[in-house]
Amino acid sequence: MLRRALLLIALLALLVVCIKPRMLQILFVDREAAAREMNGSPDRLWPLYPRFLEGVRAHTQPGDTIAIIAPGMAWDSGYSYAYYRASYFLTGREVLPLVTPENEKLPQNFRAARYIAAFEMTVRMPAEIVWQGEGGTLLRPVWGAVPPAGRPNPAGGNASPLHPEAQR
Amino acid sequence: MTAALIAILSMTVLGLPITLAVDRRARGPLLVGASFLYGSGAIFLILLAVSVVKLRWTLPEVTLAALAVFCAASILAKQPATGKPQPAARAHVFDVVTLFALTGYALYATLASLWEWDFWAIWGLKARVFLEEGGIDWRFLGSRWNTFAHTDYPLLVPLNFDFVALLNGSWSDRWLGLLCVAWGVGAVLIARGLAARETSPFFASLLGLALASRAVSTFIGLAEGALIAFGGAAVLFVRTALRDDDDAAAWRHGALMLGFAANCKNEGLALLVAVTIAVAAVSWFRVGETSRWRRLATATKLWPAYALAAPWLILRFTHVLPTDIAGGSPFSRLVARLPHVHEILGFLITRLHDPWFWLVILAGILIAPAAARRGERFVFLVTLIQLLFYVVAYLATPNDLHWHVMTSWSRLTAQAALPIAFVVFLMLANSLRGSQDAPHAQARPDQ
Repeated sequence: MLRRALLLIALLALLVVCIKPRMLQILFVDREAAAREMNGSPDRLWPLYPRFLEGVRAHTQPGDTIAIIAPGMAWDSGYSYAYYRASYFLTGREVLPLVTPENEKLPQNFRAARYIAAFEMTVRMPAEIVWQGEGGTLLRPVWGAVPPAGRPNPAGGNASPLHPEAQR
Repeated sequence: MTAALIAILSMTVLGLPITLAVDRRARGPLLVGASFLYGSGAIFLILLAVSVVKLRWTLPEVTLAALAVFCAASILAKQPATGKPQPAARAHVFDVVTLFALTGYALYATLASLWEWDFWAIWGLKARVFLEEGGIDWRFLGSRWNTFAHTDYPLLVPLNFDFVALLNGSWSDRWLGLLCVAWGVGAVLIARGLAARETSPFFASLLGLALASRAVSTFIGLAEGALIAFGGAAVLFVRTALRDDDDAAAWRHGALMLGFAANCKNEGLALLVAVTIAVAAVSWFRVGETSRWRRLATATKLWPAYALAAPWLILRFTHVLPTDIAGGSPFSRLVARLPHVHEILGFLITRLHDPWFWLVILAGILIAPAAARRGERFVFLVTLIQLLFYVVAYLATPNDLHWHVMTSWSRLTAQAALPIAFVVFLMLANSLRGSQDAPHAQARPDQ
């Protein structure tokens, strides 16, 4: 009798812990509000960023190399998000990071890029502005041109490509 | 949405003759669930093959290849059924509640465009890149800037996304969550069908309801859902094969599902090894007239799983795609962390997702009669080996161990939940019914 009771309790307990109430709750919640929240969840940090990337995509061609400049320029403070998100929106192009996960700078990628996509950052370097909008600028660097007065060429020597030329 | 629905329907139709070729006796929910899973696996193999022969993916080309597979499988399916006839599962009123729960999951999975970080940084990213390339982009996978996308991971899920995109005519991540729903529903249908062979319609339907939450993944757009479905179905079919006097059809189902699980994620490969070890161990200790070495050879019945896993393993080896966990010196990392293994296990226990679930599973195992427990050694062993593999992976990880545990442990334990929940539920239910092993029990009335 006791064993039977234990079996029954265990079976009911298993049924209860297996069922996830969230799966049933969703039937009764405001799904439009939930959808709005879900839609915005990947880009909570920078809501305009996806639209900026769509703009970059529209103004570049498959096979182009694009380096990403974003606020912070530190891997765990947003750059990983900026780089991964750009990789997703800019498929067909080669997206180059300018920072490693260890926060080491990658000036060779800056030089290798045909385009610089700078989001919420001002980049001062000899470059043609291809497109501007949605909080950012798409630039085509003009290597060998004289940089603006008082500013070193970001690709020259050991100069960092991001500092002090790139400023929020 | 139309493209995703057509993709799911086409996969199910494609998988129908494959299921019948594997098991002419398949009926009811098991037939439908297995058909979708085989269709999903077949589409992956077709896209992989087309890419390997360097043809560009186009919808007519993929459709022709799928038609060829459909015709070949239809011819094979015409062979007469062998083995014991399997009655189809009878519906029960609780199945309506299961349907309700799965509808809730479908609404959740399709709330919005896929939002998970790992979707747009790994699974969706690769699918989108390959779609633009018209095949697998080896240059992308080989680039050192893209290692974050885990370029060594198998491609069943991204190539399934690509099939939807081919039908759609362009990339859209809005309705890809429907595939996650289909994988989960497929697993529930298979579990429901298998349970109906061993217990009453009442308990089988309750089990279906319980598993409706365990057979689906809340990580929408990742490979977890597919892995749970293929891996869970594989373990349950191999269990059936071991129980039902080496049922040949169940072996074929188990091996094929296992092979597709190995093409979902690296954990699927680990599952393949875990199942092989468990089959060998259970066969070795099984009472029988044949020699132990002959019984050990039972594990060779899993060869189709290895055959299915081989193409991607060869491709990733020839293209030198790195595996992060094997980077540097994994052995030295493992040795260095071994003295702290008790702390790591303690951390895993404190970070256990759904601790009540695992506690009830443990209690259920202890409460169930010893004879019933002995009958489920295979699934217990597979689960234990899987968990052991995960612990070893944590010990060898090149990442920060705490970060690695926090970002993966809940997903890993969810991968192992379906088969163990299935067997513990059946042990308890059948013990309550006064029968620990009741094949074709649904022919009898409920207690």
